[in-house]
Amino acid sequence: MTKIALQALRKEYAGQLAISDLNLEIGDGEFFTLLGPSGCGKTTLLRMIAGFNSIEGGTISFDGEVINDRPASERNIGMVFQNYALFPQMTAAKNVGFGLQTRRIARSEAERRVEQALASVHMAHLHDRLPGQMSGGQQQRVALARALVIKPALLLMDEPLSNLDAKLRVEMRDTIRQAQRDAGITTVYVTHDQEEAMAVSDRIAVMNLGVVQQVGTPAEIYRRPANRFVAEFIGKTNLLECDLIRHEGKLRIELGKGQVIDVTDIVDASGSGRVQVSVRPEAVKAASTGLAAEVVDETFLGSHSQVRARLQTGDIVEFLEFSRRPALWTRGDTVFLDVDTDLLTFFDHASGVSIMRGDAV
Amino acid sequence: MSYLTVTNATKRFGPTFMALDGVSVSIERGEFFTLLGPSGCGKTTLLRAIAGFNDLTSGAIVLDGADLRTLPPHQRDIGMVFQDYAVFPHLSVFDNVGFGLKPRKVPAAELKIRVTEALDTVRLGAMAERLPAAMSGGQQQRIGLARAMVIKPRLLLMDEPLSNLDAKLRIELREEIRDIQKQVDIATIYVTHDQEEALAISDRICVMNAGKIEQVGTPQEIYGNPQTRFVAEFVGSINVFRPGSALDAMLAKLGHAPGGAATWTARPEHLALVEPDGQDSGAATLPGTVTKFTYLGREAHVQVDTPAGLLVVQIANPGMAATRHTGDAVAVVVPPSAPMAFGPDGARVKR
Amino acid sequence: MIVMPRFNFWTVIMILTWVMLFVLLFVPVGSVLVSSLYDQGGNFTLANYTKFLAESRFHQAFANTLVVGFGGLFGALLLGSIMAFCVSRFVIRGGKFVSLLAILALVSPPFIGAYSWIVLFGAGGVVRGFLRDLGISMPPIYGVGGILIVFSLKFYPYVYLMVSGALSNVNRSLEEAAEGLGLTPWQRTMRISFPMVFPALTAGGLLALIHAIADFGTPRLLGRGYNVLATEAFTLYAAEVGSNMSMATTISVVLIIVSMIFVLLQRYMSRRNVYHGNMINKPIRIQLKGWRNVLAHFAVYFIGLCGALPVIISVIYSFRKTSGPVFQDGFALQSYERILFGLGDVVRNSLSFSVAAVALIVVVGTVVGVLVARRTSLNTALLDGAFMVPYVMPGIVIGIAFIAAFNTGPIVLTGTAAIIILSIFIRRLPYTVRTTATSLRQLSPSMEEAAISLGYSPFQAFLRITVPLIMPGIIAGGMLSFVTAINELSSSLVLYVGSTMTMPVRIYLLILDGDFGVAAALSTILLLLSGSAVYIAFRFMGRNEQALL
Repeated sequence: MTKIALQALRKEYAGQLAISDLNLEIGDGEFFTLLGPSGCGKTTLLRMIAGFNSIEGGTISFDGEVINDRPASERNIGMVFQNYALFPQMTAAKNVGFGLQTRRIARSEAERRVEQALASVHMAHLHDRLPGQMSGGQQQRVALARALVIKPALLLMDEPLSNLDAKLRVEMRDTIRQAQRDAGITTVYVTHDQEEAMAVSDRIAVMNLGVVQQVGTPAEIYRRPANRFVAEFIGKTNLLECDLIRHEGKLRIELGKGQVIDVTDIVDASGSGRVQVSVRPEAVKAASTGLAAEVVDETFLGSHSQVRARLQTGDIVEFLEFSRRPALWTRGDTVFLDVDTDLLTFFDHASGVSIMRGDAV
Repeated sequence: MSYLTVTNATKRFGPTFMALDGVSVSIERGEFFTLLGPSGCGKTTLLRAIAGFNDLTSGAIVLDGADLRTLPPHQRDIGMVFQDYAVFPHLSVFDNVGFGLKPRKVPAAELKIRVTEALDTVRLGAMAERLPAAMSGGQQQRIGLARAMVIKPRLLLMDEPLSNLDAKLRIELREEIRDIQKQVDIATIYVTHDQEEALAISDRICVMNAGKIEQVGTPQEIYGNPQTRFVAEFVGSINVFRPGSALDAMLAKLGHAPGGAATWTARPEHLALVEPDGQDSGAATLPGTVTKFTYLGREAHVQVDTPAGLLVVQIANPGMAATRHTGDAVAVVVPPSAPMAFGPDGARVKR
Repeated sequence: MIVMPRFNFWTVIMILTWVMLFVLLFVPVGSVLVSSLYDQGGNFTLANYTKFLAESRFHQAFANTLVVGFGGLFGALLLGSIMAFCVSRFVIRGGKFVSLLAILALVSPPFIGAYSWIVLFGAGGVVRGFLRDLGISMPPIYGVGGILIVFSLKFYPYVYLMVSGALSNVNRSLEEAAEGLGLTPWQRTMRISFPMVFPALTAGGLLALIHAIADFGTPRLLGRGYNVLATEAFTLYAAEVGSNMSMATTISVVLIIVSMIFVLLQRYMSRRNVYHGNMINKPIRIQLKGWRNVLAHFAVYFIGLCGALPVIISVIYSFRKTSGPVFQDGFALQSYERILFGLGDVVRNSLSFSVAAVALIVVVGTVVGVLVARRTSLNTALLDGAFMVPYVMPGIVIGIAFIAAFNTGPIVLTGTAAIIILSIFIRRLPYTVRTTATSLRQLSPSMEEAAISLGYSPFQAFLRITVPLIMPGIIAGGMLSFVTAINELSSSLVLYVGSTMTMPVRIYLLILDGDFGVAAALSTILLLLSGSAVYIAFRFMGRNEQALL
């Protein structure tokens, strides 16, 4: 049960600034994810919270108490690593019980807690197995149990799923989410996989180049990205350039000859001028009327297909088609596109910063 | 007569294990043909038999009218792309790609032109003189691809070429592979266990399981009209209805014959969610409570506990209003076209 | 990044390590150099080197050294590669047994090999006699030819173990890719497989070359006047009358330089050819048919059995009935009785010296290994480099160097057990440092971090997690050091006095005296001890023949 506050945090490597003036607050029992491309500073930040990296400036506090100088072994954290980091010479049960040994817990109590922790990750049946005899998924389940069994103030996970294959990843993220909810432990989770982040998190901090770009719920980040980087990093999107036109007191954009879309929810001050608009692939649907476009290709993906089509402006947009049709479109087919304006985000052309106002819908 | 025909291919390992059990396929000129299945289904065994790296126990492989099984691998004139790239670490990128042209006695000048062209096709033109050791997986696999196609083989074989790459690169490279294959127009056999990759890249797919063929067809046929329960489960995902009165009532409402011995299933994206008392004309509804909500941006998965079992409903383009919480009361809409039935033997039951 | 305890423990270790290297390595090597550059009167002179360059006796020895070095190298390369290729690519019945034969040849006590060949093919050799009775006459094995045969059979395991390891690690996809591109199996072997195993080939060859140059027992027993640098150095040092220390040290310097050059040459040749593949496809072994199968089996077993022949001979001869040094018909335990009643102290010496040296090696080697692996800096890189020096020093040179350094001056050690123990210690220490550092670097640091996050201090985490993980490797390494220690002859031959005589020295002297029965029995005991150590090592780290190199 811990609230985490990071204030004016700074990290340097050999004179190079890796993180500067970073501020974050993580709520009690929250599942909080640091998401970003490799090298964005997310792992560095996690390791600063864990105590494995030094802090060059600012403070980290747990429940209001600054813990900058507390060694890692005394921060009461549970940590889950990308490469599992199970102790190869110990069985699953020994691994899980290892952290209880320093905590002066009666043997019978420790054994009970180990069994309980293994059961919570569906690993009770393998408690005498050595890590070498387990699959990657099983190892990571044991590692999760090992981190949870000590009832840490804070659970830290560093890309725990990235060594697992796609199917297992989906399965494991459910396990992680469930175990975290049941234990109610504040969790900081690091990943570069945006889908994973959206699936497990209460809130996400998107990071790039050592700077937090946006903090919000998965839906907020997806539907109202704060800047161009976030829009492109989270999910797929089409970024189109166009002019904001002021017409009879309203703002609109033109995506083709005479094909205009009225725009609302933009900060007034932006006036007219060049903007970029992010159009999510699922915001575009083929319809009987709308923007005319020429199909470039269609890739069938099962539950939907992915279509690329050229607008009259020459821009290529990618959209998802969920309808069941007898045959796919082929190059040169004409389609009419209907655009869901709720999913459009406008960015200032120069800065790339969102000029939207109001909440996501 | 098809370009490549495999007839009754059988491969036995040890006294009992049948890696291939009477497999017959035929592949046309220029076709992109994918062998899809879980590990151990025999897809790689078949591919390696065509390449000549291991022989069949029995069966025939005929390429363009000529028997392949009598030829040693180095005389089959087949290009191969490997899962682990198999790029020669001691040769430069250029020499790797030109490697197969040497035994074909291609004159030096032509060799240079062809290698350069191949490197440009895979967008590695600028790296010709580098050694591959320090290059990324995606770049190494591009070398592998260029090396296989520069010899203009009669057949191109690819053995899970993308499975060592990360998700983003996989999608990028699979589109590239498809484009290049169409451009060079060489019949290609592609092995993968990734159903989305198979759907995205293939002209036709052959789904295999336990050494046998489950179904051969275009991606749309495989996904939209699976002939066996295995195919339906392996390609895409399905909900399985729990047998009982709720299922029977639902089927009656939809005009299907009652369950009986068959297993009834439906794909998550064919179901929809409405408010608890909502109705949909012509469709059946199952009341339930939400047990899990997973937001994924362009779609959301809602798991609902209904009298006919736990059902996952996929919602496309979920707005803020579509957010559900555990415990919410909802109803699952099942349209008449959604249910698919499979008999006890796993074969599709159609009425 | 693990933050080590801050009480400067590692700084102290670093200083102590340099002090140790200074005393045990730089001072002796320096003394050799100094001794070669000064005459008896203490004046600086290049006379020794001019003499080396001028006298045909030394020219001859130098040329002979290169002949036996390269001859041994090529013989070992030939036999080792054939065996490695057959065992790793074809199905060979009893492949494990063949590897065992190679290990046997590798750990067989020194000298005994040469002598066993004399027993079989020497002037009065058993096989020669037998052939002569059949009317076939063959020349005795003495001379350069004999030396080369013995070297080839003695040093082929280095090449075999290195190359078979590399061959079974060539990614099968690479060979299949080449085959699919239209290369015949032969072309594929030469253009793909050969470059892949080239580094292993040169590394194995280097080991054979360095050992061949350093070996002085074989040329001494078989050479019959065919002198090499190692024998010259020993003769000059050990001459009863007119011992010429400064000339011996001059030859030592030449030997060090020659070995050094070959080490650097090998590094240069294989500098860019180290490949680490992600192993998805392990090569498979082919079942050969017909005459090819027979030929492959014959080659493998012929090489293996010839290599292990000296060991087999000495075990058999150790049980033969003797009358004094003369063999009689029938079998008896007389030779062992003579050891039990007359040579107990020699066995005791060998055991206690080896155990002491190994204990030192394990403790110091582990600590320094941790230092090198975990505290990366210029200092540790230099340290790592300094440990190359003992690696290339021939045993005889170490012996002479220790005498030169510790005969007079502040530390006098000649005639003590300590000098023998320390000479073994400094020669074998680099292996332990290297293997400890390597195994530490392979351990993921997150393992210790996991323990720290669970509430253990960094030092506890190291002790509870890392140490148990590298312990089996350390014990195994210690056992293999024991094998080297107990078989060490050339340096102890220079360093021993009557009370510190070891088993290999005794064997050498017994063979010179013609008392082969007791020598064979002592060898068998040595072999038993070595074999047990190898067995224990394999128990701890799995069967890993490459670790013996």
